Amino acid sequence: MFRNYLKIAFRSLWRNKGFSLINILGLAIGIAVCLIILMFVNNELSYDRYNTKADRIYRIYFQGDVQGEKLKESTVMPPVAQTMKADFPEVEEATRIRDYGFPKLIIGDKSFREDAFAFVDSNFFNVFTLPFLQGDARTALIEPNTVVITEAVAGKYFGNRNPMGQIISFNDKNKAPCKITGVIENVPVNSHFHFDFFASMAGLPESKVPTWMSSNFYTYLVLRKDFDYMKLEAKLPNLVEKYIGPQLFKAMGMTLAEFKGKGNVLSFHLQPLTDVHLHSDFANDLSQPGDIRYVYIFSAIALFMLLIACINFMNLSTAAASKRAREVGIRKVLGSRKPELIRQFLLETIVITAIALLIAILFIKLALPVFNNLASQNLELNFAAYPLLIPLLLLLVLVVGVLAGSYPAFYLSSFKPVMVLKSKITGGRKSIGLRSGLVVFQFFISILLIVCTLVVYNQLFYIQHKKLGYDKDKVLVLQNTWMLNKNQDSFRQFVINDPRVVSVSCSGYLPAGSSNNNNFFVSPGENTSQVIKTLRYDVDENYISTLGIQLLEGRNFSKQFSTDSGSVILNEAAAVAFGWRKGAVGKTISRINNEGRKEVYSVIGVVRDFHFRSLHERISPLVMAFSPDQGTLIVKLRANADIPALTEILKKRWSEAGAEDPLSYSFLDERYNNTYKTEQKMGLILGIFAGLTIFVACLGLFGLAKFTAAQRTKEIGIRKVLGASVAQVTGMLSKEFLVLVLVACVIAFPVAWWAMNNWLQDFAYRISISWWIFALAGVTIILIALFTVSFQAIKAAIANPVKSLRTE
Amino acid sequence: MIDLKHINKWVNSGGNRVFLLRDINLNVNEGEFISIMGPSGSGKSTLLNVIGMLDEFGEGEYNFLGQPVHQLKEKQRSQLYKSHIGFVFQAYHLIDELTVYENIETPLLYQNINTSNRRAIVADILDRFNIVGKKDLFPPQLSGGQQQLVGVARALVAKPKLILADEPTGNLNSKQGEEIMELFKQLNSEDRVTIIQATHSERNAAYGSKIINLLDGRIEK
Repeated sequence: MFRNYLKIAFRSLWRNKGFSLINILGLAIGIAVCLIILMFVNNELSYDRYNTKADRIYRIYFQGDVQGEKLKESTVMPPVAQTMKADFPEVEEATRIRDYGFPKLIIGDKSFREDAFAFVDSNFFNVFTLPFLQGDARTALIEPNTVVITEAVAGKYFGNRNPMGQIISFNDKNKAPCKITGVIENVPVNSHFHFDFFASMAGLPESKVPTWMSSNFYTYLVLRKDFDYMKLEAKLPNLVEKYIGPQLFKAMGMTLAEFKGKGNVLSFHLQPLTDVHLHSDFANDLSQPGDIRYVYIFSAIALFMLLIACINFMNLSTAAASKRAREVGIRKVLGSRKPELIRQFLLETIVITAIALLIAILFIKLALPVFNNLASQNLELNFAAYPLLIPLLLLLVLVVGVLAGSYPAFYLSSFKPVMVLKSKITGGRKSIGLRSGLVVFQFFISILLIVCTLVVYNQLFYIQHKKLGYDKDKVLVLQNTWMLNKNQDSFRQFVINDPRVVSVSCSGYLPAGSSNNNNFFVSPGENTSQVIKTLRYDVDENYISTLGIQLLEGRNFSKQFSTDSGSVILNEAAAVAFGWRKGAVGKTISRINNEGRKEVYSVIGVVRDFHFRSLHERISPLVMAFSPDQGTLIVKLRANADIPALTEILKKRWSEAGAEDPLSYSFLDERYNNTYKTEQKMGLILGIFAGLTIFVACLGLFGLAKFTAAQRTKEIGIRKVLGASVAQVTGMLSKEFLVLVLVACVIAFPVAWWAMNNWLQDFAYRISISWWIFALAGVTIILIALFTVSFQAIKAAIANPVKSLRTE
Repeated sequence: MIDLKHINKWVNSGGNRVFLLRDINLNVNEGEFISIMGPSGSGKSTLLNVIGMLDEFGEGEYNFLGQPVHQLKEKQRSQLYKSHIGFVFQAYHLIDELTVYENIETPLLYQNINTSNRRAIVADILDRFNIVGKKDLFPPQLSGGQQQLVGVARALVAKPKLILADEPTGNLNSKQGEEIMELFKQLNSEDRVTIIQATHSERNAAYGSKIINLLDGRIEK
């Protein structure tokens, strides 16, 4: 029986090659997209779960609201770890990471710059599960000046030699060399930290400083089994009271109560380790965190994609039903009962799904590198690594097969044999409602995705073309020029003298990309207690002209004025915040410096607001002070400058100037674009999914049109005999589907508007969603649908009516 | 074997009842060969479908082998016709995706007969109908007469007591038709299979032991 069903399944697939192709292709695309997304989601959710204690490790973080500035830091003070362990019995273990930036290391007679170096407490490997290949996890880091390295580093620096006991020393002579006491497996990709060197904290003086005023230590706690971390978190205010309070009083002469009375807030919180990757929004973190919102969005898309593919399948199968109807009739007359037929058709869909899955796996193999590139992921389809994958895929085949096959199975098996055999199959006039609903749903999602894609791209276009108040084109940024030490000035002079260069400014404060950043609390005038939070940019006299910022009032800084070290230039927002809408020039601002003395600055100019932060944020008050910063060169180039040639020369000159590291440079417009990388990626990914959804939905529509045309062959024949033209018949057939697409539009537009309006709220400067986006989306989808349908409609319309009427 | 009493069947069309069958009384005994004659639309097919339990009727009583069909549930009816009735159609109604062998085998599949038994039964019938050489062909590769031969073979494979044939020769030329009718006659006389056929043709009707004339849904006396 089973064999008979399989035979029938393959033979009817083969006989309707076109239909089968559409069916399998649609399903394969759906499954492929769904699987890729599931892999992505699974990977995102798997972060840090490789730790055997993952469910009871918590990171302690610090939050504050100090003088109007919100702080949220993933690092805490040096004594927090020890204190937590000592004060709270529920804390089994506390360990710290101190990120050491990118030190220069000397191994043997070579030096290397490494960017994954950390100091950790000796119990680090007791908390995190990083298996040792050599050495002992418990004792490796007890001694000061010891280091544990990863397999990758061991291979890179020592090759086949045994790294154990080898010495790594620092370029920084103040640091004692470290002995390698362990080699661990590489840190898993799905870890929130990716260090290659774990040095013993025992030799790090700053780890023992009892200050509660500076925080540089990522601190992790292991709680007792089944202990509710919320209970511990509730006790954390004591920590502020007991330890920060006294030190605050010493430093600021203010009790904690007074400090809090001014509206300041300080608090500690716990974050489960498994939340670190997806639920973090700290200014600093050990790696670029993921975003739980994207996990949700992508999961939804995966589900939609699979649903659309299944719906397609249902639609196409029921559409093909008229072909199978006769078989159903005969089988029934021969004694088959409904359950047997249902089983038969379900088996067929499962076979088809299995074929689709094989093709989907092929698609995944092809598409995964592209997706990894787009989404900066590192996914791979690895059957060996996941023994569960194959049974899971088989389960998927079963679920999708039953999901997609159930409707056609029930539909087909419910045919009345007499009706079918008399070819009187009025064929599901009643099921047309359901099928139409399914089509509407598919197009609803397609339109939703189109509108979302359009809005994202529209916003990106807006970002791209927004007048920023400064000129980002043809601006070269040369970083870390401080490395040149005494040769810095001559290098700068060399840059200025190049004919391709218009002007050069020395400032590490960049309006795009990562930049220096200083909060600056000042009072308007000299004798007021009002304090306003602004940002301070240290610039030189060429900054405004190099970046093309417009001076509204007053004058620029100048070396001619010896008083300019006490002068500032405001942006409009600052002038407004200080209450000087007009005539700010000549006013003074003041602040109390760290030593408690009053500093007074006079305002010499006001510049037009420019977007020195991303468009996600409103332009805030900015104070520019005259203090040429020697660290970064901002170089404005001529419009026709030959950039590759210039950078070649600069690189050469740079190494001649005695720099140890290669010249690092970037372009301001690239830095600007990189700020919106997430959005660009999202736009691209949405666009791709929108395209795929439409494609699959159109496959379904194509099949459905074919079905309707087949069903109405006789009607079309009669109409033609009565004198209807090809155009009239085509129109009649197309109209029905257009109505469905229009209904889908009507439902999708408000949903899309709501969703994208929410998304746009993330931007302080944004487009308003205008009607043309909806119009464009609607017209696009209608044209695509029309194109798809008209194929079948025209084919049906030009068919010879005599043929279709000559039945029986 | 078959006992129809006052069978009425109608459809509603624009508020009027249009009778397809009107007060049909018919008694068929085992071993009979009955021909139903009548012009197009006289209700021949409808009557066959009612007898074959593929179609329902509005009023009346129908007893089949002593079972009151009008009181049976769908499932029981299906069970009943599956084991006792074979159908032969004008348009053969073979499954195009299956070979001759598989087509003939299909009714047995639905009666849960095991593989080796099935093979024996089908081989037997292929032999008897002289179509062993064609068993691996698909229906579209056969002539109309051969297809109908397969159709009859399929109807017989489950050893039914009754064969219902709706214009079995309608799509065949006269020679092919004659062969099929001869076959029926042989089945009737040698295997004691009851046969009811609907036909247009006087000649074919003459093969039957009894002729019933239908007109506008009534049996003409």
